Amino acid sequence: MIQASSQKMALRAEGLWFAYRDTDWILKDVCLSIPNGQITIIMGPSGTGKTTLLKILAGILTPSRGHVEVLNHDITNHSQRSLASLIGYIPQQLGLVRNLTALENVLMGALGRCGSGSALLGLFPGEEVEKANAALDLMGIAHKGTEKVFRLSGGERQRVAIARTLLQHPRVVVADEFVSDLDMALALEILSRIRCAAAQEQITFVMSMHRQGLVREFAENVVTLREGQVAPGFIPVLTQGAAAVEMLQ
Amino acid sequence: MKTNLLITGLFALLLGIVLNELGFFDSGKLLRGLRNLGILTSDMVPPDFSVLPVAGRALWETVLMSFAGTMLGFLASLPLSILGTRNLFPTVLSSLARFVAAGVRTIPVLLWAIIFVILFGLGPLAGTFGIAAYTIGYLAKIYSDLFEGTDPEVLEAVGSTGASKLQLVRFVFLPEGANAILTQLLFMLEYNIRASSILGFVGAGGLGFVMQVYLQTLEYRRLASVLLLILVVVLAMDGLSAWIRKRFLLTAQA
Repeated sequence: MIQASSQKMALRAEGLWFAYRDTDWILKDVCLSIPNGQITIIMGPSGTGKTTLLKILAGILTPSRGHVEVLNHDITNHSQRSLASLIGYIPQQLGLVRNLTALENVLMGALGRCGSGSALLGLFPGEEVEKANAALDLMGIAHKGTEKVFRLSGGERQRVAIARTLLQHPRVVVADEFVSDLDMALALEILSRIRCAAAQEQITFVMSMHRQGLVREFAENVVTLREGQVAPGFIPVLTQGAAAVEMLQ
Repeated sequence: MKTNLLITGLFALLLGIVLNELGFFDSGKLLRGLRNLGILTSDMVPPDFSVLPVAGRALWETVLMSFAGTMLGFLASLPLSILGTRNLFPTVLSSLARFVAAGVRTIPVLLWAIIFVILFGLGPLAGTFGIAAYTIGYLAKIYSDLFEGTDPEVLEAVGSTGASKLQLVRFVFLPEGANAILTQLLFMLEYNIRASSILGFVGAGGLGFVMQVYLQTLEYRRLASVLLLILVVVLAMDGLSAWIRKRFLLTAQA
């Protein structure tokens, strides 16, 4: 398992190219540097390669060319299991198992640390169960632990997904448009909890988002993608929050 | 539009040729068949319920065979279907598992019963293994396809927590597929009760032997009671399935 080290830059991507088919490039020579312990938001029109970029940054997809470093470790050819202590990933539809309870879903964040023995029977170490309950508590839904996910509201599911990722103890969390389905008030609450977690746990958050109001409120850095490239005129790490959004308009 | 009409016309022509080859347009044969149906039906009524104690014992054996065979087949089909899941294991391994399942499925349940009668002798044990073998082939294919259709986002999200393949099976594939796993299992149990009622024809135990005797001795009124008994069991099984589905399946999904 890769050990995290303390770095100013949590994540560096150099010369990323990616195509699902032949040379139909989704990403073209993308270079990024994302500072440690901050919230960085990736913006851009639909179909511009944000999801693909995030999956590469999370180590789920391997780039056709180029490489990604997370806290100074080249992750390009590592298995997801070996990256679990470094990177957490929240997809747009959250990736929760609907037929399991909220607590069981959160406990999945500990699977990388648990052997295949008792965890397979659903018996997690008491310490992990305590941490999972604490993560649900941090997200304000400790009372929903025994509820099956398909019975939870959209906002509650969002919080379960974040709690699962927090239990994983990653240094970097990559999240794809994961508050896009929520109304503004709920999105603000969820992102406030993320900001709190980022500060408490010194976690770097990289998220794609399209609502400028939220970006203005929460982004410490903004990167814009256009047609598979970092938009011209922007340096990879942008000026802070509101100023960055002004530049986008 | 013209192409559609042409394809429909060609299909109708092909169907007509096939039906003609099978004697479908031989009106003399069809009328004879209808007459015989009338005679057979009149020979079957009223059903002779005096055979119910004998038929009931044989039916109980059939139900036990079906239940045991279905459960054995289900337990064996799960690991085979997981190995046959192409987005979990390398193509060589998954193709091999799917090939085994296809091979097992190719042999009809009656032939399996004959093979096991040869291996284990006459009686319900052969029938139970025959049902189990067919169930493995059928469920392994259905479950492999089901697992492959698991939402990739869930796999990516749980995979990124560092879950092993076994953990993915336990925490993603099985719970995500729970509804369909149970539904197919219940369907298989219903199917096997119907199918196993003829296994006695080849000496593999159950109701088939009783039916064969009544058929050969032309005791159609007694046969009618046996058929009614099967109908009652299948309807009861249908009701039980509906209750289990209502009780255990997800009732709300978003």
